[in-house]
Amino acid sequence: MVTSLSQGSATLRSESKAPIVMPDDLAIRIEDLSIKYKINVDTKRTLKNAVMRASKGERVRMRTVEAVKHLTLDVPHGSVLGIVGANGAGKSTLMRSIAGILPPTEGRIIVNGKISTLLALGVGFNPALSGRDNIILGGLASGLSREEIESKTDQIAEFADLPDGFIDMPVRTYSSGMYGRVAFSVAVNMTPDILLLDEALSAGDASFKEKSFTRMRELCEEARTIVIVSHALATISELCDTAIWMHKGNMLAKGKPEEIVDQYLKFLDVGTLPSNFEDM
Amino acid sequence: MTSAPQTSGSNNAGKSRDKNAFAPQIQVFEPHRASLPPLIPYLREFWRRRVFASELAKFTDKAEYLDSKLGKVWLVLNPLLLAMIYYLLVTVLKGGKHNNGITTLAHILIGLFTFYFAQTCITSGAQSITSGGRLILNQAFPRALLPYSSSISAFQQFLPTIPVYIFVIIIGKLMYPATQVPGITWHFIWVPFIVALVGITGFGLALAFATMNVYFRDTNKLLQYFMRIWLYLSPILWQPEMLHGWHRAVLYLNPLGPTLSATSHIWIDGLAPNLAEWIGMLSWALLSIVLGGYFFISRERDFAVRI
Repeated sequence: MVTSLSQGSATLRSESKAPIVMPDDLAIRIEDLSIKYKINVDTKRTLKNAVMRASKGERVRMRTVEAVKHLTLDVPHGSVLGIVGANGAGKSTLMRSIAGILPPTEGRIIVNGKISTLLALGVGFNPALSGRDNIILGGLASGLSREEIESKTDQIAEFADLPDGFIDMPVRTYSSGMYGRVAFSVAVNMTPDILLLDEALSAGDASFKEKSFTRMRELCEEARTIVIVSHALATISELCDTAIWMHKGNMLAKGKPEEIVDQYLKFLDVGTLPSNFEDM
Repeated sequence: MTSAPQTSGSNNAGKSRDKNAFAPQIQVFEPHRASLPPLIPYLREFWRRRVFASELAKFTDKAEYLDSKLGKVWLVLNPLLLAMIYYLLVTVLKGGKHNNGITTLAHILIGLFTFYFAQTCITSGAQSITSGGRLILNQAFPRALLPYSSSISAFQQFLPTIPVYIFVIIIGKLMYPATQVPGITWHFIWVPFIVALVGITGFGLALAFATMNVYFRDTNKLLQYFMRIWLYLSPILWQPEMLHGWHRAVLYLNPLGPTLSATSHIWIDGLAPNLAEWIGMLSWALLSIVLGGYFFISRERDFAVRI
């Protein structure tokens, strides 16, 4: 909903009619973001159970999960942001909301650029189809045209570094490393403006990891933005120029990756939050 | 659980809004008040990514029949063999005459082929969201593309059955020239419209059942029984003319009733569909797509947390 554009920033009009200002140097702006969702506590979500419950006059047991709480964050173009945190911290939910997969409950996310994602290993590959077919499907799913993805297929296949002939073999014949390499190769070779990677850097061996890092540095030099979620803290320290620590939906700290990793490691060692975070 | 992606071009956004509408640069995700997302951007994005749906249908079909020796021949063989079984049940065991037998076979065949088209749209569309979990968790796209892809796949599977049907009735006519089944008539021009309406009805119902399947995982199992009962309630194993007076309402309360009656008119009687059939077909197509579409689109932002 565009109304006007001022120099150095884009001013948009949201559905709520509130003006949105997006400075040109920002790739992602997150404003007071909260994400809550309700989950069905019952193990079997079936019509049969629903009818049985209704006949007994029982209500469906729902639990509200507050995955992200009032998070505000700016991510400039060309930066690499690392996100650390324990399981259940809200990292993956945040990544999915930046990608437009999960909707905000409150607040807003503004994204400036084309997004490429690698948020769930496998990314929906069909195991009966060849790697080449899956690359085409993956590209089309991410919004490329058939011509665009076909022109990139060889480049993607080459980057994935599969053994001879494997690219035209069914994906079910791949090892887990090969599978992960193809998925990663599709994500980084889409020429994204913003690349979102959730635990995706564990694919492949040491040489593929080095190749991945090199490719990501190239993307940064081209002013593309990367957001990484990883439990491999050395990767966060090595690749990122900013990091945030998330804990139970809150952003506890933001700063240099080494400092954030240090704080997080101390928390992991001690098992309790530093005193200045206790009230969060 | 609401968000509304608003899009614009990053530079000179106001002027390039239309030009960049299909290549969004700035996207805004925020809660919105209505249960439906803004429909115009949604439908625009749906249209822009339609190639993904058609390619997904193509690749899914390819994967499904890759390991089968008879491959896609099963698409024709399956309803053909079933039609033969029903034919034996309905005609031979009841001691039907040969001329009438061809008419019955033709009626069962075209009815089954048409019903199977709708059934495949609905049953594979109903599974499309739950089986596309990883894709849904990894990519943002209008989720209706997945059931739409299933409908395309169902249409591709339906197409080869038409020449088979024509072949059967030509052979039947050569063997039994006195049969009621007509040869090629100009009323065949109505067939593409009817097929399109079946596709729309099937897609609309697929949207509804796909949503239900996200919330109740046994929907697809129940759907199999539901489809079987629906088949028997439809004018496939019986003729629409068997219904008289107010009983004909049964025909129009069935979403596929007017369609099957119309196809029977065209292929068996060599007549154009009547006005009541047209109104019935159009009404069911519209009702299915509007209600199914509303149910699906208003819930689809919830799918990523439910899968």
